[in-house]
Amino acid sequence: MMLQRIARRRLLGTQGSVGAAILAVVVAVAIYGVALPDSAGRERVAEPYARPGPGIPLGADDLGRNLLEQLIVGAGTSLSLAFIVAAITTAIAAVVGGAAGLGRRWLSTTVMRGIDVMLILPELILYILAAAFLGQSFGIRVAILSLILWPVPSRVLRAAVLTAWSRGHLEVARAMGAARWWLLARHASYLIGPLLVPIFVRTAMRAIIYDATLSFLGLGDPTTPSWGTTLYWVQVNGVFLSDAWTWWALPPGAAITLTVLALALIGIAVEDRLNPALKEAA
Amino acid sequence: MTQLDISAPSDGRRAYSRYLAGRIVEYAAVLLIALTLNFALPRALPGGPLKLFGSPEALARLTEDERAQIATQYGFGRPIPEQFLDYLKGVVTLDLGTSLSDGREVADALGGALPWTLLLVGSSIVITATLGVALGVVGALRRRRGKGSGLLAGAIVVDSLPQFWLGMLLIVVFGVQLKVLPTFGVSGIDGVTVGGVLQHLVLPVTTLVVTGMGYLFMYTRSSLLTVLTSEPVQHAHARGVPYGRLIRRHVLRPALLPVHTILMLEIGFLAAGSIVVETVFAYPGLGRLTFDAISARDYPLMQGAFLVLTVMVVLMNALADATYPLLDPRARTGGSR
Repeated sequence: MMLQRIARRRLLGTQGSVGAAILAVVVAVAIYGVALPDSAGRERVAEPYARPGPGIPLGADDLGRNLLEQLIVGAGTSLSLAFIVAAITTAIAAVVGGAAGLGRRWLSTTVMRGIDVMLILPELILYILAAAFLGQSFGIRVAILSLILWPVPSRVLRAAVLTAWSRGHLEVARAMGAARWWLLARHASYLIGPLLVPIFVRTAMRAIIYDATLSFLGLGDPTTPSWGTTLYWVQVNGVFLSDAWTWWALPPGAAITLTVLALALIGIAVEDRLNPALKEAA
Repeated sequence: MTQLDISAPSDGRRAYSRYLAGRIVEYAAVLLIALTLNFALPRALPGGPLKLFGSPEALARLTEDERAQIATQYGFGRPIPEQFLDYLKGVVTLDLGTSLSDGREVADALGGALPWTLLLVGSSIVITATLGVALGVVGALRRRRGKGSGLLAGAIVVDSLPQFWLGMLLIVVFGVQLKVLPTFGVSGIDGVTVGGVLQHLVLPVTTLVVTGMGYLFMYTRSSLLTVLTSEPVQHAHARGVPYGRLIRRHVLRPALLPVHTILMLEIGFLAAGSIVVETVFAYPGLGRLTFDAISARDYPLMQGAFLVLTVMVVLMNALADATYPLLDPRARTGGSR
């Protein structure tokens, strides 16, 4: 029913539909990965460095672990981390951006100054530094990423709140003495709410890339297969110097690229749809 | 009778120094935060800050008393503010401790690696900024034609590539299959030569530029599109301003100002990318040093490398920021509206 409506109203356009389709496949793979036994991709099932063959379509790594299973389990690791981080960050950004947009002048100035300072510090370096010293378990990584990624979206949301606030119907309502929370809930939420979608998507993209980079540097959670960790072993073993790169290095990298690309396409499609409304508001 | 408040024409130079002063305060705050993080994180290490001074195996052999003794010797028992001052003193005098893996002074190791990273990141920033902005302008002006939409699609794809993976693919294609470019380190058989270094830079710089360009392209493009449809530009067009002049004076100037801000994010992105890219290409800079330090759990070296990388990003940002008033007359004269 909802899918039909989306299709009819061309909610996402061609680009966005392609993105949604790719993402749906990755999500399906991730769900399948959750159903696999705990040993999947973690235990020795074949000769080390085995070429692709029956039972191991993508061969085995240097410890004889199934590379296809690592790829499948990695989808779950990446997506769950990205979506949890994106949800937390979007929530923080909504509160901070809202406070900076609607709060008193001193609050707004302080928050914006703080954001400017945070923007100068390089996110990825901070993430690697913090993870190197604090630990690499799933919860810690989620916490660090959420603490690092909120400034950019907060700034976007503050701008959106300010733009919405200057619109005619809001000024009228304000002049009639409506409370701020009522204005926000009744008259501004439809303008600001949809913006949370691209913010969520963009944060998820950054989380996936950053976390893959961390694992690639050997700082991933050693007990959970992930795309970045597989590529760490590719790097350590110099796999791309042999022909094993086609089944060992290519799939996880392509998986990261496709997942991020899918999110980017969805984000751009939603932004394009929002654009007329934003232009009208300006 | 109340006096009319007519503000004097603002003094350009004073406004500029006020702008600079504000920024300097901001950057001092950033540096302080970076230093605090660098100071605090090792102290939050699971297993305690003693890990900074020895391998886990060596630490496991120590008795409780010996641990306590080392802790006092290095002052971990003292009040935190005192420790922090000591740490700052160490940073200023370049006393960053000794590496656990090879016993070198951390400052020496970092000093040897820094020029290589500056070379890699510096050239990448210049090329990324030039190409990204130029293509963004083309993409915006030719948006309805094949060239523009092709560029946009390319930028979206390129923006999704993980740097380490692109680096590996480049090694496979140009190093292993075609055998046309070196993929490892900076020196060939005849040692370190200018030509050799340039050759060795091609693939790492390409990796950074390609992955960094997409975002800059998209931002420049959308900034330009916003200005193109704005009223002043429409009006200038209606007035009959020639196309070239319209683009140069009325579109590019205002449209490229916000791009300058994005350049800052880009600097951080490329500096962080150097960690990954130097690892893939075995390039002897700070990034490679960081990776080796992480692999060996060499915490003093790690701490030092992160500090230098962060300070490098902050200083590059400050440099870019100081040039902003040259582009934006409003920041020069103090008229902020």
